[in-house]
Amino acid sequence: MLQAAAFYILAGTAVISAFMVVAARNPVRAVLFLILTFFSAAGLFVMLGAEFLAMLLVIVYVGAVAVLFLFVVMMLDVDFAALKEGFLSYLPLGGAVALALVGILSLTGISWVVSDTAGAALQTPVPPDMSNAEALGSILYDRYVFFFQLAGLVLLVAMIGAIVLTLRHREGVRRQNIARQVQRRREEGVELVEVKSGEGIG
Amino acid sequence: MFEIGLGHYLTLAAILFTIGVFGIFVNRKNVIILLMSIELILLAVNVNMVAFSSHLGDMTGQVFAMLILTVAAAEAAVGLAILVVFFRNRGDIAVEGVNLMKG
Amino acid sequence: MDAVLLEYLPVLIFFAIALAMGIGFIVAAAVLAPSDPDPEKVSTYECGFNAFEDARMKFDVRFYLVAILFIIFDLEVAFLFPWIFPMFEGNIFAFWSMMVFLGVLTVGFLYEWRKGALDWE
Repeated sequence: MLQAAAFYILAGTAVISAFMVVAARNPVRAVLFLILTFFSAAGLFVMLGAEFLAMLLVIVYVGAVAVLFLFVVMMLDVDFAALKEGFLSYLPLGGAVALALVGILSLTGISWVVSDTAGAALQTPVPPDMSNAEALGSILYDRYVFFFQLAGLVLLVAMIGAIVLTLRHREGVRRQNIARQVQRRREEGVELVEVKSGEGIG
Repeated sequence: MFEIGLGHYLTLAAILFTIGVFGIFVNRKNVIILLMSIELILLAVNVNMVAFSSHLGDMTGQVFAMLILTVAAAEAAVGLAILVVFFRNRGDIAVEGVNLMKG
Repeated sequence: MDAVLLEYLPVLIFFAIALAMGIGFIVAAAVLAPSDPDPEKVSTYECGFNAFEDARMKFDVRFYLVAILFIIFDLEVAFLFPWIFPMFEGNIFAFWSMMVFLGVLTVGFLYEWRKGALDWE
């Protein structure tokens, strides 16, 4: 009973805020609704027993992706009212596509059954006496090692891609070179001058 | 109704997916919202993965959900980087002008 | 399953209390506070002048680059967490698979260091 109530509250929040992401007038508000969507999805993941993924969702999305979106939204000095202009003219097409999708998905929704042999075909059954993170750790690093390395490569590509695309060094900026600063000798910095009294230097 | 099963989660994922696709079609002018719609679609996929993983008792679904999370974050990072460069060159972020990026 | 969920019951109660308090304060402020707006009172005020420019300010792109690199390393750390468990069991293969993963990302880290993406000019 409590579980059902929690599901409906979380799912309702997720759906409403997901819709607000799409429909919000102000992109900053859309980002905040996106955070709310991910947050309620994390709650649903906890209910499904995927605690580690739920925490990951909160850390990665609420902590990082959403911050990123906020940065971009604030960085770009755009007239957001003008961006929303086409909303109504695109609405019929978007609505039609969404309706078609609802039709297709509900067709599959009423016709699917779980196969009897599905239970026997499990690749990696959930170990009964392990926490979620432990069960994940027991298969992620050896059984799925290629996918794991692939994730590493995806991250590498994202890192390099972001740097290549956005990094622009400004001309004529003087940087601190600490190694050179430390290696500086007395001879470079100090000059001893014999000064005759009463004449000054020069 | 009060017994929450696989079907409930699949329905939720279907709704989220549909909202994401709807968002892509409706927000043609604003690439930021487009990217957010893609994130919503990936979230719907993740909900499906985790729901099946929990229902069938198989950890593989959660491993793949983790990989989807990685790809989603990488996609957001590179997508926004492209957006920043696009904005720097053109001064707005409307998708209609994106075909100008061709050579 | 239910035992695990029961552990999260305090979190649920916490959220319920937080939500109730938040809504309560907003409603209380709306009901109790005197509200008598007029155009002069609610207009933007800047030391006697009208506001010169928009309150929203543009950020520098470099903040964005830092945030992106943060995300990448955030995910890297997320992959490190479940790694603890195979380590306790003495799983050598899992150890080296993580070392390769970290090595790949170290290549990226060295790249951004050499490119000067971490310098602040």
